[in-house]
Amino acid sequence: MDGVHHLASPDPPIQCNTPLPVEAAYVSEQADDQTLLRVDSINKQYADQVVLANVAFDVKAGEIVGIIGPNGAGKTTLLEVLAGILPAESSDVHWLGRLLPPSRRREAMFYLPDGVRPYQDQPVNRVLSFVANVYRRSADEITNTIQAVGLTPVLHKRVHSLSKGYGRRLLLALGLLTPHPLLLMDEPFDGFDLRQTRDIVGVLRGEAAMGRTFVLAIHQLLDAERVCDRFILLADGRVRGAGTLSDLRTRTGIAAGNLEDIFLALT
Amino acid sequence: MRSPETFRIQDAPLRPLLVKELREILSGRALWTMLLLMCPLIGYSFFQAISLYGEASAAGLQSPVLAASLSPLDGVLVPTLGASYVAVTLLFPFVAIRVLGQEKESGALRLLIQLPYRSSTLIAAKLAAVLAAWVLSSVPAFSALAIWRMLDGHLSAPETLNLLFGHLLYGLLVGAIALFAASVSESAATAAIVTLAFTIGSWVLDFTVVGHPGLLEWIARLSLTQVLRTFEQGLLSAGLVVGIGTAVCGFAALATVWTPPGVGVRSKLFRSLLCVLAAAIVLGLATQIRFSVDVTEDQRNSFSVADQRALAKLAEPLVVTVHLAPEDPRYADLRRNVLAKLDRAMPNVSVRLAGGRQTPATNSGDDSYGEVEYAYANRSDISRSTSPREILPLLYGLAGVSPPAPASGGDYPGYPLAANGQVVLIWFFCGLPLCIALAWWRSRRLPEPITARFTKEVQS
Repeated sequence: MDGVHHLASPDPPIQCNTPLPVEAAYVSEQADDQTLLRVDSINKQYADQVVLANVAFDVKAGEIVGIIGPNGAGKTTLLEVLAGILPAESSDVHWLGRLLPPSRRREAMFYLPDGVRPYQDQPVNRVLSFVANVYRRSADEITNTIQAVGLTPVLHKRVHSLSKGYGRRLLLALGLLTPHPLLLMDEPFDGFDLRQTRDIVGVLRGEAAMGRTFVLAIHQLLDAERVCDRFILLADGRVRGAGTLSDLRTRTGIAAGNLEDIFLALT
Repeated sequence: MRSPETFRIQDAPLRPLLVKELREILSGRALWTMLLLMCPLIGYSFFQAISLYGEASAAGLQSPVLAASLSPLDGVLVPTLGASYVAVTLLFPFVAIRVLGQEKESGALRLLIQLPYRSSTLIAAKLAAVLAAWVLSSVPAFSALAIWRMLDGHLSAPETLNLLFGHLLYGLLVGAIALFAASVSESAATAAIVTLAFTIGSWVLDFTVVGHPGLLEWIARLSLTQVLRTFEQGLLSAGLVVGIGTAVCGFAALATVWTPPGVGVRSKLFRSLLCVLAAAIVLGLATQIRFSVDVTEDQRNSFSVADQRALAKLAEPLVVTVHLAPEDPRYADLRRNVLAKLDRAMPNVSVRLAGGRQTPATNSGDDSYGEVEYAYANRSDISRSTSPREILPLLYGLAGVSPPAPASGGDYPGYPLAANGQVVLIWFFCGLPLCIALAWWRSRRLPEPITARFTKEVQS
């Protein structure tokens, strides 16, 4: 399987009182090929139904990785297990080469779920200020984030009155206000039209260029092709293929195929 | 290149979390609706209390002996705050559940638990919000106390504060149960059912098993409604305070265990078992704490100071055998007038019910029925009295000590007051609801959409 590393000896786990090497997670000129996150094996089942079966992949610092699959493929479950907010039968995740237990995942990564409207009775600026104050963000950082995601027109509106697109922007802004080097985002383009999607892709690209890493669960293949550097193709809870578009074309032998053709060929 | 910061749990400031919780609870309809409903409820109770107190005071103003029986604690405070108790039992769970249930239903909890706070910190902040909600929901009760003072009514600070403290502990207990219910339930409706099962179930326990001996009596003590009784009697009991505190912490700990969604059910059950065991041990120890303070102005829960001192010196065990059925009114009198006071005054008192399974009717032919035997230092005596005036000399006789000389002065004068309560109704049915509606409207106003102001708020 492309992009999956297997080591003969287990890596030392990150102890409870050991600070995570978060700074090293940001891509630098010296270490631009560094594996940030390595998922050795994730297995999850509900009763007798297997939702994720031996899912394994890796993510490099500064990458935008797309988890691609149809509805019900297990994308959301995978992100939630990865983020440590859903228990799983097994969840072996390594952060910069060291085993990262589920209880410490939130120190390394932040997960933005799909369809969440946090604190609906509050105006947008209060929700933003809450997260910004928790992470002691400066006024400049907040202003830049608001402008980047285009939230300025709705700052004074209550969250429940936002359109789907602005709700999605708010969630993205909350994620960008966190200091985590890795953001996990579930369907980040759901609710955006073409122009808005392009704008947000620009924002993500800008963040990635500054060293932030993204893992996006996307079911719209066209959006995924626009924004992602690499793809993990997921179907029925299993990884069917992983790599760049060119890797996948080579593997499937579809030289001029788009992601849709490749996905259909592999699943 | 961005300069990342490593945010660990220890680094996270608490203030934003607390501010968020307070804003959340203030923005919900549940708190304001409860406040509006409490106005007529407490207002009418207060009106009735001062009317009845006024009628009793008419005779008390003519006779000092009758006046001595008029205590604002029994006549006004307990019935007024009794209405608050009903509201806290039936309505406050909905306010407290919202603190966690809303985030759970909207999905915001999945963001919250990723922030750099321990689960225990999150629950502690929510408990603080519940406390703030209780304080706000007590505004009608506080206003009743203020009106009583304006009507020249007497308030004894220790009595009043003790009673308010009891209601605060009860509110926190209901809040902690609600948080636990919200943590284990998928929806706020289910959480409400679970919480009301606790609170209303307590009432049922009270109605059905109180007064019965043995196991049923022990079960009746678990009733939440028993929490307030001691405070309403003017006692500050260390064991009770520790017990309620432990129950609050226990339910909060259970909420902490069940809130994070990333932990498996088996692990949660194991941690819950540990919490329950720890709470049970502390509760068991709390039952052994006998220290209590009689905060009433008339010292109704104590003998005279001279008797208290003399009884405290009787170090031998006193065994009291009561030949009465538990539901016999004479037993209630004996407990209130003698046994409870002896238990507080003497270091070693044990009470045994000899006719525990019998009723007054079945014992009508038993000559010993109604007798109370007092055994002290290998000597014993029998009395049928429920009055300390007869029992205390009997005890001094058994102990071989002379009764202390009765102290002169310091008698409770009583505080009769015949006040016009009509103005109270206007305040509670019009004035206060209007003020609450205005405060609600103000809390719903959106902040100014000025970026500078927003920046200032963020920087604060």
